[in-house]
Amino acid sequence: MQQKMITVVIDENGNSSVDLEGFAGHGCEKVLKDFQGHDRAKVERKKAVFYSNEARTVQERLHSGGK
Amino acid sequence: MSAYGEYETTLCEQKFLVEGLFDMGYTVQVYPDEGAPLIGYHGDERPERAHVIIRRAQLDSASNDIGFVRGADGRFRAILSEYDRSIGYDAQWLGKVHQHYKEKQTLAVAKAKGYIFRRREVIQTPNGPQVRLQFVAR
Repeated sequence: MQQKMITVVIDENGNSSVDLEGFAGHGCEKVLKDFQGHDRAKVERKKAVFYSNEARTVQERLHSGGK
Repeated sequence: MSAYGEYETTLCEQKFLVEGLFDMGYTVQVYPDEGAPLIGYHGDERPERAHVIIRRAQLDSASNDIGFVRGADGRFRAILSEYDRSIGYDAQWLGKVHQHYKEKQTLAVAKAKGYIFRRREVIQTPNGPQVRLQFVAR
């Protein structure tokens, strides 16, 4: 199982970026919120793995006859 | 990889502001309620008040106090004289204040939320040093 890694880079102006690796689905939103704190979000995006995992989940539900 | 975010740091928590300034080598005075007046380079009391103050003795001989005043929105705003801005207590210096603040805040949040600290690196860039922190989620 892939390790869930969080990398925070704080630039010379004190602004930060948070990069998540190994997270799946909506779990990453909570992690981003944890590290955002009171700061204003400039950019937030899901990456390819998030969508592929979401698609797999939907497919699995369809195959198993779930909603 | 699964998500990415960029954030603009706001100085909201006094504790991390004080700790960050301490890391930069300053000892600050904290006046959490009404604040206290800043002192000018003549030893005169200035009209501005602040809640976190770096007294001028720690700065240049002709410096004024540097203050951080908490606004109604809960954010700290720096009060810097024109002279002090001209001798290096400028936007770049304030950027370092934000950087130290954000590092303290990030480490504290990570610990409180149960993330495991892995490593800290300082990366030199043409614009200045960047701090890279890595954590693992349980």
